[in-house]
Amino acid sequence: MKHLGLEAGVFARSLYLQYVALFQWATVRGYIAYKVLLPVTQILFFVELGVYATGRQNALYFALGNALQLTANAGIFGVIATVANERQYGTLPILLASPANRLVTFMSRAVVNVIDGIATVVIGLAIVVVLFGLDLRQANLPLLGLCVVIISVTTAGLGLMFGSIGLVMRDAIIVANIVYYLLLIICGINFPVSRLPGALQVLAYSLPLTRGVQAARDAAAGATLGHVSGLLAGELLVGAAWALGGYFLFRGLENWSRRGGLQEAY
Amino acid sequence: MNLLGPQRLVVRSLVRAAFSAFVLSVRLRVISPWSYLNWLVFPLLFAIVGLYVLSLPGAGSSHLVYGVLGGGLIGYWSVAYIDAGNGIQDERWNGTLEQIFATPTPLWVILLGKVCGGLLFGLFAFVPTAAAAFFGFHAVLPALDPWRFVISLGVLTLSFFCIAITMAPLFALWRWAFSMINGFELGVYILCGFMFPVAVLAPWAQGVAGFLAPTWAVKALYAATVAQGPHDFAAWWAVTSGLSLAYLAGAYFLYALVEREARVSGELALV
Repeated sequence: MKHLGLEAGVFARSLYLQYVALFQWATVRGYIAYKVLLPVTQILFFVELGVYATGRQNALYFALGNALQLTANAGIFGVIATVANERQYGTLPILLASPANRLVTFMSRAVVNVIDGIATVVIGLAIVVVLFGLDLRQANLPLLGLCVVIISVTTAGLGLMFGSIGLVMRDAIIVANIVYYLLLIICGINFPVSRLPGALQVLAYSLPLTRGVQAARDAAAGATLGHVSGLLAGELLVGAAWALGGYFLFRGLENWSRRGGLQEAY
Repeated sequence: MNLLGPQRLVVRSLVRAAFSAFVLSVRLRVISPWSYLNWLVFPLLFAIVGLYVLSLPGAGSSHLVYGVLGGGLIGYWSVAYIDAGNGIQDERWNGTLEQIFATPTPLWVILLGKVCGGLLFGLFAFVPTAAAAFFGFHAVLPALDPWRFVISLGVLTLSFFCIAITMAPLFALWRWAFSMINGFELGVYILCGFMFPVAVLAPWAQGVAGFLAPTWAVKALYAATVAQGPHDFAAWWAVTSGLSLAYLAGAYFLYALVEREARVSGELALV
């Protein structure tokens, strides 16, 4: 019990420090730029593109998909930047030298971004409701909320996987950019996954977001938990697999970077 | 007194300095992974999304032209405002800002070379996106008018050049300006009509778009690839050029402010 209490203390302190020291949008201007302007313009861009291509009747398909994809803004960019920032600020060797439980430290790095991801989607959905008249009267709102929480957690799992690369790579944020925009192509955000070539469809279903967005679309149309439970279970499983893979990669790269002295290699 | 000789020497030295800055900027971009993200990966990803959406069932076949060129335009813009626009800011990060101000060569000459280097890489963005359109979606430009297309691209380049030259002191003076424009990046894609025509936007948004120089050049660029629709090239090129020169006039005051911060108050490296 005492051990658990100690670990909880490490988790809480690490979570707090991740917010005050590494949450790079913790300024009003930074938050407005990347958490308000970027989501708004992303939704507007893809909705206008979709409307131009297929007509105004499909606006909500594009609006909802992109509003939900915004979780990746926090889950991918935020989580990867957390490790990358430790490296950039020169605190990575100190972190790796500490005896703190790696799993606890690792997970606490993602929590603030999960909360932030949920907030970003709420902003995105509010924009969709106001600008595009998304009618949520028929929607199963608690289920839609659950979908948003699950998507935020699973994208953070993917972020942890790629964040580990920051241990040995100087410009890990480049990877964040590629993964973020790749999700726009692969995960059924702007067009159905069925339009992708077979191999990419397999990749799509092995990534977070794909099932979660599908479930959220169904929830917005009024589906019950029973209808989407399979999708949500799959989404959680995929997210957990990526997070676990990320943890093992983190441990592996930690040893490698320690042996090669790569933590401070700029 | 013959001033022609010394004047020619001065001009030659300025051209040499600008060319050196150009060569250095190209060499730095060859080894920078960020550069490849901006001109290769980023436009390619946007082109693929655009081509998929613009080829959805119900989409007109003429829409595909926006997928063919749109990704390239996005990449070109990204390089122009991020790479070229950070011309002064990069020197500050690298600790070379003071040396540049200490040289007798005017700052704008060095930036001229750097921005041209950036824009050269921006033009590369059209290669992977056109290749993706052709090989992945069998999409080509339907009715290309080569001369008008090339002139429109030249005019667009002029507008990107002027914007980059204007943004360089802006980003150096107020760091948050880059964050704001970076956050609004997709808004620029909308207002400039990179992947769909500005005509589909709300009237007030079209009014705002009218103040952006690239909007008119992009309009001309797309008009040069399709037979139908208005083809007022001369007017569009003139508006783009006029607005671009207006940006340069604004940049003059920003450069004066940069000089003041750097030389008089010595605070440029601190802001």
